[in-house]
Amino acid sequence: MINKIKELKITWGSAIRVIVGSVVAVYLIWRVVIITFGSGEFGPDTWVRFLITGLVIGGIYALIAIGYTLVYGILFMINFAHGEVMMLGTFAGYFVLEALSAMPAPGTDANINFLNAQPVLSILLTFLAGAGVSALAGYLLEKIAYRPLRKAPRLIPLISAIGASIFLQNAAQLLFGPQRRQYINPDLLWRGQGWMIPVSGKSVMLTYTGGFSFVLSILLMIGLFILVRKTKLGKSMRAVAENKQAAALMGIDVDSVISKTFIISGILAGSAGVMWGIHNGLFNHYVGFLPGIKAFTAAVMGGIGNIPGAMIGGMLLGLMESLGPALLGLDFQLKDVIAFAILIFVLIIRPSGILGEALTEEKV
Amino acid sequence: MKQNKIKQGVITGLTFGLIFIFLILTGFTQVGSDMIGNLLGNFEKAGAENALPVINLILFTGLIGLLMGLSTSKANLSNTWLASLLNSILAGLIAGLLVGAVILVTGSFHSQGVDFRNYLPKLGSEQMNYLLHYTTPLAAGTTYLITSTVASLIGGAIGKAFRQQSWTAHSMTWTKNTVKNIGKKLKLGQSPQRKIITILGLIVAGGLLYLLPLVWGSYWNYTMGTVAIYILLGIGLNIIVGFSGQLVLGYVAFFATGAYTFALLTAPQPHAILMNVWLAVGISVIVSTLTGLLLGLPILNLRGDYLAIVTLGFGEIVRILIRSDLLTFLTNGPKGVTNVVQPSWLGKVFSDVNYTHFLFLLVLIALFIAKRLKDSRTGRSWIAIREDQTVAQATGINTFKSKLLALALGAALAGLAGALFASRNQFTGPEDFTLMVSVNVLCIVIVGGMGSLPGIVVGAMVLKGLPEILRELDDYRLLVFGALLIAMMIIRPQGLWPAKKVSLELQRKDSLGDNIQEVEP
Repeated sequence: MINKIKELKITWGSAIRVIVGSVVAVYLIWRVVIITFGSGEFGPDTWVRFLITGLVIGGIYALIAIGYTLVYGILFMINFAHGEVMMLGTFAGYFVLEALSAMPAPGTDANINFLNAQPVLSILLTFLAGAGVSALAGYLLEKIAYRPLRKAPRLIPLISAIGASIFLQNAAQLLFGPQRRQYINPDLLWRGQGWMIPVSGKSVMLTYTGGFSFVLSILLMIGLFILVRKTKLGKSMRAVAENKQAAALMGIDVDSVISKTFIISGILAGSAGVMWGIHNGLFNHYVGFLPGIKAFTAAVMGGIGNIPGAMIGGMLLGLMESLGPALLGLDFQLKDVIAFAILIFVLIIRPSGILGEALTEEKV
Repeated sequence: MKQNKIKQGVITGLTFGLIFIFLILTGFTQVGSDMIGNLLGNFEKAGAENALPVINLILFTGLIGLLMGLSTSKANLSNTWLASLLNSILAGLIAGLLVGAVILVTGSFHSQGVDFRNYLPKLGSEQMNYLLHYTTPLAAGTTYLITSTVASLIGGAIGKAFRQQSWTAHSMTWTKNTVKNIGKKLKLGQSPQRKIITILGLIVAGGLLYLLPLVWGSYWNYTMGTVAIYILLGIGLNIIVGFSGQLVLGYVAFFATGAYTFALLTAPQPHAILMNVWLAVGISVIVSTLTGLLLGLPILNLRGDYLAIVTLGFGEIVRILIRSDLLTFLTNGPKGVTNVVQPSWLGKVFSDVNYTHFLFLLVLIALFIAKRLKDSRTGRSWIAIREDQTVAQATGINTFKSKLLALALGAALAGLAGALFASRNQFTGPEDFTLMVSVNVLCIVIVGGMGSLPGIVVGAMVLKGLPEILRELDDYRLLVFGALLIAMMIIRPQGLWPAKKVSLELQRKDSLGDNIQEVEP
């Protein structure tokens, strides 16, 4: 009832929302028309290239965004250190690859290292290490920094998360040094090589690493979806997200479900971190910061607390970043501006995100 | 029962062992040992002999072991002497084994010529020799094991002895009662007496604020100037977050707007407007306020984390735009604006002492205004909105206008702080305005105590002043800062100097640990 009354009331905010919304929408449509039929600035091959870049990076964002959304859905807190959890995964993967590339393969001559003799096994080990370390980090993070604050008001865990983020970033810098490092990929997944896709006379490269990352991120998302929808753990996670007290009364161990949620989001973030390393190569201890913030943006855009929303939000954000500058005729260094501007725009038009349910005020 | 008793020792041992390994890998053992050496005064002579640093290192190991023993004895009060000591020894053994094993493994690799420096920069050849006590890995590992066990046993014994007499508890209650009594006596005194004390206190504080900048040199003037600017920022953000309860994570945007407006209006490059300083400060404040209003109009209907993320995005947008080629003609791009004018009065440019005085004065004025605002009708309506927006609306408060006013005021203060920041540094560049500035200010507000004005002063001192003092631990200060934030939130979430109303609010908890706000729809 109260909400209805509020909706009817015309405030400054809602008036401006409508005006801004229509202006931006008209501009966007105009730009698309101009680019496609007018100037011919970009050929179809360029668009396909942007699309591929967007989808690959979008898959990584989506994986991280799911972590934010899972935690937010249960604890209503922004896990600000989630990007750092991903960073730890990137480091773990790097070390495994370094070790494997230095190791001689059994049963072959000494010139081939383990990495190239057993590429599939190596990649699997790398992902296991990345996901494992991130899962452990997420578990410990919750246990040390968040669990004692379960009863506190909502800003308190946020500050604790910020503290954890600063701590982890600096710990990584002190442990491993501030220099940039480069992933060693097996020859099978060498960066800069890929399939050629012919598009209107020209060919566009889909890199092996890009295709691999995209497929893997989709598989992980499907796995997560099955986990949440079909398993007992998923059911209890949803129950805890709905109402902790009632879930506890139904015999669900709330603490362990929360721990498992952090482990799952850590696994996804760690995999995303390894993918980031394999796909982009260079990284240092800041690697988690920007993807973390962007993935959170994606989670909010899709409707925080909503898992399909996080997936769609991540993909959309990746696409916006790669397509946006060209679409709006802006410089590529402004891609982050576009990502954030579209976020603001989406939230102004649809405050609960793309797929978000109308959250009750208490939850927001 | 038996198992439970041992469990405590095992867990403590594992935790401390891992912490110690972390300290070794981050190179903190060396810093810590050197600090012990400094304390004992044997550091100067350390160059020639290898023995002294090693002794310091062993002492440092012992200190960690001592702490471990203390914490094992603290955990289980009901234990008998035997069980307690057994626990301490167990913890010491486990931690020692962990550390010893790490030393043994890395040490044997090291003696075979493997260099870890590429992956773990703190385990270079020099540091490895040091960690190995300049002996063989086995001997060093054994030393760690023995030191840890013995120290833990001593720590456990000390801890147990103190617990036994509950000496600490006695002294705690005694101190508390004394403080209470003194407080009572002071309060029992008639109000004129209290007034006199307050006035005296104010005079002393004012005198200190005037005198200290004259005495303590330019380094402290600079540091305290930074603290003062952050206090201004804190007061501004406190109006938004602490009073009206709107979580804004992009506060740096207003800071940047103020700084850049001031810099562009006064600097010879790139525009050569060379406006009067005070006029430029005024315009900076107005521009920031307008930015706040313009941002607030569309987004203030959002709540909670959505508002947070939108403002966070806005802050990043402002920074990236300032840096971008698109606006280089206006803002000079990544190079920033140099030669920003310093303020002057009657033709004389402020010296750094004058500047510090000026900043202190501004802080006092801002504190006064904020205090009056808090107690005004507007302030009370903000607090009502913070507590429950729907109820506030139902009692006839125009929530949107109130929130907008809070945002505009906060933005105005940030603009002022920005202008002062730019003029004091005589420079402003896009990298001064990263997300970490917003985060720092928010931390000041929360660590000080949300909604509390003295808390902001304390918070700014701690968060901006402490890292300056901790400069000796240069590389480690951000690490310590992060850990302190977590610890602080766990131990004292209401802040160092909490506001009364908020601290009452924070004590409300429910049985199952759900958020108190979470009511079934």
